[in-house]
Amino acid sequence: MKRVKIVAGLLWAFIGLIVIIILFPGLNSFSSSLSRAPFMKLNPRYTGGAVSKQLISERCTLDVRVPVFNGFLKERNTGFVQLDWRGTLPDKICDSIDYDEDGVKDFCIAIDRTEMKTTFESYNVQAKNIIISTPTSYGWAVRIGLLKVPKSKLP
Amino acid sequence: MSEAFILGLSSGSACLATCGIVMFPFFMAGSAGMKKIAWDLSVFLLTRLLVYFTLATLSWYFGQAIFGNPLVRTIVPGILYIMFAIMLVWYSISKNHNPVCPAKIVNTVNNHRIVPVFLGVVNSLGFCPALFIILTKGATQGTLVQSYLAFIAFFIGSSLWFIPLPLAGRIRKKEVLTKIGILATGLAGIIFMIKGLTNLIGGLING
Amino acid sequence: MDNILTIVGMQKSFGKSLLYSLPMFLISFMFLTGGRPDFSNPASGIALMVVFLFVNLLYFLMHYTGKTDRFRAVLFIIFALSLSYTLIHNMLEVRKSMSFNQADILECKIPFCHLVIPMMLLPAAFTKSIIFPGSIIGGFANISAMVVLWLGATLVLGRGFCSWGCFYGGWDDGFSRVRKRRAIKQISDLWKWMPFAVLLMVMLTAALSLTPTYCSWICPFKAVTEFEQVTSVESATKAGIFLSLFGGLVVVLPVMTRKRTQCSFLCPLGAISSLSNKITPFTVKIDKTACTECYKCVEVCPLFALSKEGIKEGEVSLFCSKCGKCIDACPKKAIHYGIRGIPAGTMKNFSRNLFLFVSFLFMAVFSSGPIINTLQGVLKLIF
Ligand code: SF4
Ligand code: SF4
Repeated sequence: MKRVKIVAGLLWAFIGLIVIIILFPGLNSFSSSLSRAPFMKLNPRYTGGAVSKQLISERCTLDVRVPVFNGFLKERNTGFVQLDWRGTLPDKICDSIDYDEDGVKDFCIAIDRTEMKTTFESYNVQAKNIIISTPTSYGWAVRIGLLKVPKSKLP
Repeated sequence: MSEAFILGLSSGSACLATCGIVMFPFFMAGSAGMKKIAWDLSVFLLTRLLVYFTLATLSWYFGQAIFGNPLVRTIVPGILYIMFAIMLVWYSISKNHNPVCPAKIVNTVNNHRIVPVFLGVVNSLGFCPALFIILTKGATQGTLVQSYLAFIAFFIGSSLWFIPLPLAGRIRKKEVLTKIGILATGLAGIIFMIKGLTNLIGGLING
Repeated sequence: MDNILTIVGMQKSFGKSLLYSLPMFLISFMFLTGGRPDFSNPASGIALMVVFLFVNLLYFLMHYTGKTDRFRAVLFIIFALSLSYTLIHNMLEVRKSMSFNQADILECKIPFCHLVIPMMLLPAAFTKSIIFPGSIIGGFANISAMVVLWLGATLVLGRGFCSWGCFYGGWDDGFSRVRKRRAIKQISDLWKWMPFAVLLMVMLTAALSLTPTYCSWICPFKAVTEFEQVTSVESATKAGIFLSLFGGLVVVLPVMTRKRTQCSFLCPLGAISSLSNKITPFTVKIDKTACTECYKCVEVCPLFALSKEGIKEGEVSLFCSKCGKCIDACPKKAIHYGIRGIPAGTMKNFSRNLFLFVSFLFMAVFSSGPIINTLQGVLKLIF
């Protein structure tokens, strides 16, 4: 038994040696295999969610993303919708958005890029406030806080 | 809800750490058999749940009366959080040196059948700072249902520690778990202290 | 006569040490230069060769002197300092500030570090997603590469990662060496379980909030890497916490106690790595027949891994990071590197040589990038 333990220990140690030797040369291939694992994707709270529609104008596009409400085990009552303006943006941006695709505008957002000021007007009780409004490397991004209101309580 | 769960989970361990001495012998009672132990444990947990429902109702109704004024509503809970959180940190440190179980009195009860009920009541009313925090939380909830949910989350978090109680005899490093639990309680205290402070400062800044 | 003998002994061991260092020399040359050092940019070529030679000198000295910890610590501390330099330099160059802003978070450009790993576990299992605003693959410090490196190192070295791989550990390791004597001697045993409590809390809070709470609220190393811009009461509170934890646990307490207090009392990843010590091939063992119970090892261990009771039982606890400090301090060579399954007191040299090769290779290659980068920066400043 003692001998078996010694041999197993030595074998394990040599496997360890090999693991460390191949770790760095194989890093790219190991990490790209890991990146394909089903759980290796960023949570929508970080990516902002998938793009649900794209509004294209002459010099820039506006990506309206799918509202994000996800929580640990179930959806939360509060969430956000992210808007990304890309391309050559004018100094003043003003857009009315229908984020839930019901054919009615939910809020209006106005950005003054020179003053770095954003104003928000809500037409829907579920669209609450600006969480983030910031210049980005691709243009400008805004996150609007959303609140799930039960259908019975909607006006 | 998540905060209440974490509070329950962390303080439940301290609760077990101090009351384990009384509860281990009762629940483990080697001769009792798993079925009996499971029954007693269920009665114990159910009693705790009922007590928490009562507390949720009471705290919410009192909360409505006390925290009606918006200024009081932003400032007082912040102060209470900080106060109770400091007590929780102190509680976790001092309990470690001097464990006293509020349910100790159970040793004087002769009727075995009412012991789990008795333990459930005494344990949930063990007036520890964590209970004060959850009472404050219950009192400041918008609706009674939200207050119930907060107490249920607290109940689930704290009850998780009692589930393995019947197996306690078989867990080898009990004292290590107890130590980790005590420290986690202190950390929960610190979390609530910071929460209280940010609530208070934020409340004062935003009027 | 004695002198001659010592010299002869040293000469012999010099040749032997060179021989033992040869594999490291060759393999690190291959890993660092890819077999062909590039001198097209003189500053980077020189920095590369200096780092290569320096690293190999340290390894040679480990064999030549028989001491491990003092040479390990040199590289480990330089690694920590140069990583902070690299990160801060990168931040200042790209963003003109040490803090990252909301756009960096929205664009998922935050460098990933291994301390996030414990917080990723529950969300990865339940939501099948990663709760960190970094890059999954590609770019600086991407999530996949860091996870692979940590997994590999932890599988082989266990908590050895905390003395041979972590680019933060060098900070409190360094400060714990500043004073010759301990100003605080009595520390309750209870505190060494704190990382497990922190682990429990951060795993839960991270899962429930889907944010890496340790990074957002606690990590002391934010003070020497990058942190969120202070724009609100909340971000100011966070900055206050980072700075006070850094000051307290990474600077003041290590100086006063000569222990690595941040790693011993706070780090949740250290807790996970400790658990992995149960399965790794390399261990630290106590030969009870040689041990005279002088407890010098207990005194010097920076991670509270040894206790008098443990020594009596011949046990090293799971907190051991295989730093080698106790081994260097033991006058009877009773405590030594070992291999799982091989009885204490046997095959000491073989176990040490194999462990040193594996652990040092990991540290040398992992640390070389930031150190070369820092040296290059220094060279640019001078010339
Ligand atoms: S305990 Fe944490 S900070 Fe310290 S060396 Fe280990 S992983 Fe790094
Ligand atoms: S037991 Fe020895 S090798 Fe392990 S951490 Fe302590 S000093 Fe380092």
